Amino acid sequence: MRANATRTSWRADTAKNLSLLIPVFKRHRFRLILGFTALLGVDFFQLLTPRFIKKAVDALEEGTASGASLLQYAAYIMLLAVGIACCRFVWRYLIIGFSRMLERDLRDRLVAHLLSLDRRFFQRHSTGELMALSSNDLAAVQLATGMGMIAAVDALVMTLAALAFMAYINPMLTLIAVAPMPVLAITTRMLSARLHKRFKKVQEQFASMTEFARSAISSIHLLKAYTQEQTQTEQFGQMGRDYIRHNLKLAIIQGLLFPFSSLIGNCSLLLVLFFGGRLTVQGTITIGDFIAFISYLFMLTWPMMAIGWVTNLFQRGATSLARIKAIFAEEPELRDCVSSESFPLKSGEVRVQGLSFTYPGQLTPVLDDVSMTFTHGMVGVVGKTGSGKTTLCHILTRLYPVADGVLFLAERDVNALPVATVRNNIAYVPQEATIFSETIQANIALGRMDASMEEIEEVAKAASIHDEIMTFADGYQSRVGERGVKLSGGQRQRIALARALLLDRPIFIIDDGLSAVDTETEHTILQDIGPYLQGKTCIVISHRIASLVGADRILVMDKGKIVAEGDHQFLLENNVFYATIYSHQTDSVLREG
Amino acid sequence: MRYGYGYFEEDKLGKVADTGLWRRVVSYSVPYWKRLVSAILLSFAVIGASLALPYMVRLGIDQYITNTSLETSARIGGLSMLAGTFVGVILCGFLANFLQVVILEWSGQNIMHEMRQQLFGHVLGLDLSFFNNNPSGKLVTRLTNDIQNMHEMFTSVIVTLFNDFMKLLAILIILLWMNWRLALVLSLLVPLITANTLWFSRLARDAFRAIRTRLARINSFLQEALAGISVLQIFMRQEDTLHRFTELSNGYLQKNLYQIRIFSIFMPAIDLFSSIATASIIWYGGGQIIQEQMSLGELAAFLAYMRLFFQPIRDLSQKYSIVQSAMASAERIFQLLDTLPASSPVRMIPGQPEMKGDVSFHHVHFAYDTEQVLSDLSFHVAPGKTLAIVGATGSGKSTIVNLLEKFYEPDSGQIYIDGQEISTLNSQWLRERLGLVMQDVFIVPATVRENILLDKKRGEGELEVIIDKAQLAGVVANLPEGLETRIGEGGVELSSGQKQLLAFARVLARNPRVLILDEATSSVDSVTEILIDRAIASTLANRTGIVIAHRLSTIRRADHILVMDNGRIVEQGNHQSLLDQDGIYRRLLSLQANHSDLLPNLASQVMDPNR
Repeated sequence: MRANATRTSWRADTAKNLSLLIPVFKRHRFRLILGFTALLGVDFFQLLTPRFIKKAVDALEEGTASGASLLQYAAYIMLLAVGIACCRFVWRYLIIGFSRMLERDLRDRLVAHLLSLDRRFFQRHSTGELMALSSNDLAAVQLATGMGMIAAVDALVMTLAALAFMAYINPMLTLIAVAPMPVLAITTRMLSARLHKRFKKVQEQFASMTEFARSAISSIHLLKAYTQEQTQTEQFGQMGRDYIRHNLKLAIIQGLLFPFSSLIGNCSLLLVLFFGGRLTVQGTITIGDFIAFISYLFMLTWPMMAIGWVTNLFQRGATSLARIKAIFAEEPELRDCVSSESFPLKSGEVRVQGLSFTYPGQLTPVLDDVSMTFTHGMVGVVGKTGSGKTTLCHILTRLYPVADGVLFLAERDVNALPVATVRNNIAYVPQEATIFSETIQANIALGRMDASMEEIEEVAKAASIHDEIMTFADGYQSRVGERGVKLSGGQRQRIALARALLLDRPIFIIDDGLSAVDTETEHTILQDIGPYLQGKTCIVISHRIASLVGADRILVMDKGKIVAEGDHQFLLENNVFYATIYSHQTDSVLREG
Repeated sequence: MRYGYGYFEEDKLGKVADTGLWRRVVSYSVPYWKRLVSAILLSFAVIGASLALPYMVRLGIDQYITNTSLETSARIGGLSMLAGTFVGVILCGFLANFLQVVILEWSGQNIMHEMRQQLFGHVLGLDLSFFNNNPSGKLVTRLTNDIQNMHEMFTSVIVTLFNDFMKLLAILIILLWMNWRLALVLSLLVPLITANTLWFSRLARDAFRAIRTRLARINSFLQEALAGISVLQIFMRQEDTLHRFTELSNGYLQKNLYQIRIFSIFMPAIDLFSSIATASIIWYGGGQIIQEQMSLGELAAFLAYMRLFFQPIRDLSQKYSIVQSAMASAERIFQLLDTLPASSPVRMIPGQPEMKGDVSFHHVHFAYDTEQVLSDLSFHVAPGKTLAIVGATGSGKSTIVNLLEKFYEPDSGQIYIDGQEISTLNSQWLRERLGLVMQDVFIVPATVRENILLDKKRGEGELEVIIDKAQLAGVVANLPEGLETRIGEGGVELSSGQKQLLAFARVLARNPRVLILDEATSSVDSVTEILIDRAIASTLANRTGIVIAHRLSTIRRADHILVMDNGRIVEQGNHQSLLDQDGIYRRLLSLQANHSDLLPNLASQVMDPNR
């Protein structure tokens, strides 16, 4: 009962999920109608061919055949063959083409949707998971709507028609001949489900071997320093042996599946040979009938195999479609304010009032009733990992939603401003610098594609990265990535800094964005970017207190709260945490010296 | 996805007729010759069974069904006999087919496994300079995709290709034997089919290649966009990203449609040939029957054999391209196997005295390619002492580590350990006795315990002391399964600070005589920083230490400090004497300690003048 109920609801879900595809089906309806007509045409012509063979054989048997009549039969067969070829071209091109268009359409919509989702979503779904969705799941839907649909229609028509023709020759013989067929359909279905599972196992193992090799090769110097060559090779060998095992398991199914279908086909042939032969001997059917019967029998083998295969294809397609649909059902929690009004913000003042934030699935808040105002000048933020600094930045840049009356930009509630407006007022340098596989120029100009080369070079100089860029073979035109230049963590951070400097926005946020840069370079950078920050609201998060010493105000954060606030000297005297870190980092060397 | 982390290689075509390459490929299968021969014998059984069936149908028709000279009961009895044989034949065919698939897979996988192992071991043994010149994606592709390509050739092609050829040949022979005239007429079709197949295989291969390239582009674009989604959103690049993605997606669709067109023309064409054959049999064979030169049973057998004939031809073209891509892979694999390490390994000297840890550089010069990195570098560290090296990025500090570890050889000058030149030492022996802790930590996908020990054995008590000294106890206590927690790929992700601590534990477990420490520049939070500090202190105790130092605490603790600039030593001495010199060292340290000399200036610029 329960199993039945879940199955029904599963079907209902699938029907609901299909709504995703219906517009595409509608758009291409003529293509589909024509394609399936051609498919039916193929089936019809294919079924006619044995009729002509039978007529020719009967004529030969009866001795009524002549050279001319034989030529006529041959011509009919050829004519049918040309018809089949034409119709095949039409359906292949139209229907398989349709499934590819559907895939493209779905993929584009999926990516457009993903781009609109907020950070909460990307925290729940890893890049790998979404990549799998875009490649494997879309492929499954494509297969189901392409080959799946074709095979289903084809198998159905062929089965019915072949059975009808066979029954027309002799109903009893037909029943006998098709007796082994259901076994084939059931076995194919069972085996191909298992085949898929084992194939996945093989692929997973292949992926982990790839990952293992990649990680070994990319840290080869450490591996050599620890003389792990032998151990690594042995471990790789163990994975390789597991890979063999998974492959053999797969091969057993493969080795059963295909020979089994010919085994069943041959069983039917055997039955026809034996019983049909008897009928022919007894004169119940003609020899021509007998040969035509065998031809129809061959036509049945493929649909029987297809039934099992198609069922799996549809099931997989439906599961994948459900996964895709679930992503489409996700909506950004951050509601964008729709407004055509443009907001030239007069100041970069940011006010936070009673901001609390808890990550989904966690009990303790990362930000707990934080209130503060950032105006012109530099505000430093220090605190342990997990004290809420980065979350604060993400909320300011509108990556997470906030309640009304909590976050104000130039005295306007951010929820009343379009997200684009807020972001267009902020330049942000994250700790993890994201660099795309493009030219360095394009990476710096990410936020302002129209920036001139002079402007780009200028900000690169301020970020102390210009000289290093010039050492690359193609300078600013060097591509980043495996085939181009490889950048160190510090270089990436400085490019991200240059990218933000180019924007010239009223609010400038550096979220520990120079952590991988050595102290001396950081010093130079802080000196050089000064002019760019003039008159701006500037928030700098750092673990190195030395970088914040000159800030107007420094906030000390702990467990989502601002626990102290003041300038460097004040905090040094009044905050134990601050003073401890500072004395540890500086070691008081200079004062002793 | 099998595109090795964004690295995508245009698949070059292999030379199918390269005999040298073939000989080398085949040499890997020699140990498995018994199994391969049995697979071939089985394939005779498979072909025999599949070809016997139409012949038996023919026998049934001619000798029993249409043979009116026999009595009805004798005809039916004969049919039953034939049916019995038929059962035997189909069962044999099924069994042989199954066994063949399994045996082939087993041998193919084992051959590939050996090749992969050989290649992996070989690659790990190559010089570091080799890795600098070859992107890791390329090497991974050799180990995975290229081997996979060859495997496909081994199992699904070589023997099935053999099967198919044997089958086609056998069918032709049977047809000639049954009725040579009709067979000759039909064989007129063979050149047409061959030309069609070859033409098709070329077009299909190019089409597939274009599809793969496009798909790889889509995937790497999407991967990057998703990984950097926050930045794209903050910089308002959504529309532009979508636009570029749609273009890629459309390019992929066009290539797919092209492939579909090619298949739409050629797949029906093969069927058309098959129908031409049927029509010829009816027309020409029928004529022969009228002239009583052929029996009806033969005609039926001809029709059945033609069907069998067209089956292998359908996928011959596909198999040909598999062989081509496998040969290209083989070429690449052998090329990599033929790459030799630049320096031949030094043999282990038996009875080598244990290392004391006396390290000295003597007028060492070194250049990467043309870029001079170290110039006339000389220093000496006595056993148990700590040497700190400070200097800006690019001053040559890390190169000292690379030379000492024998990753590279100096262009001139000598490096001595305990008075012995390291070029005369076995690198394995040497590296076992040098402990290296670097900014990036190599995590094996295994438990914390296995990651600490690697290939070493330590008792439970000993391990506890090590973990304690490395300040890792707190971290381990917070892991869900303590020491047995799996980390790395698929396990718990450690923070960069935690990984650093693990690296210290690893060094302590190996108990080296010399510790080489390349301190991390990137800042970790203050609590972890204090832990790392303690770990460094306990690891350095009683060992010779060479430290590329960024932390003041480490620098101060050193017995001797080198200040490097542009590959040269510009200042040296102990902390106090260097401070007194009031040179580069003092300036470096003041930056570290405090930006206050410049920050008031910065802060005043930041402040709004009108405020």
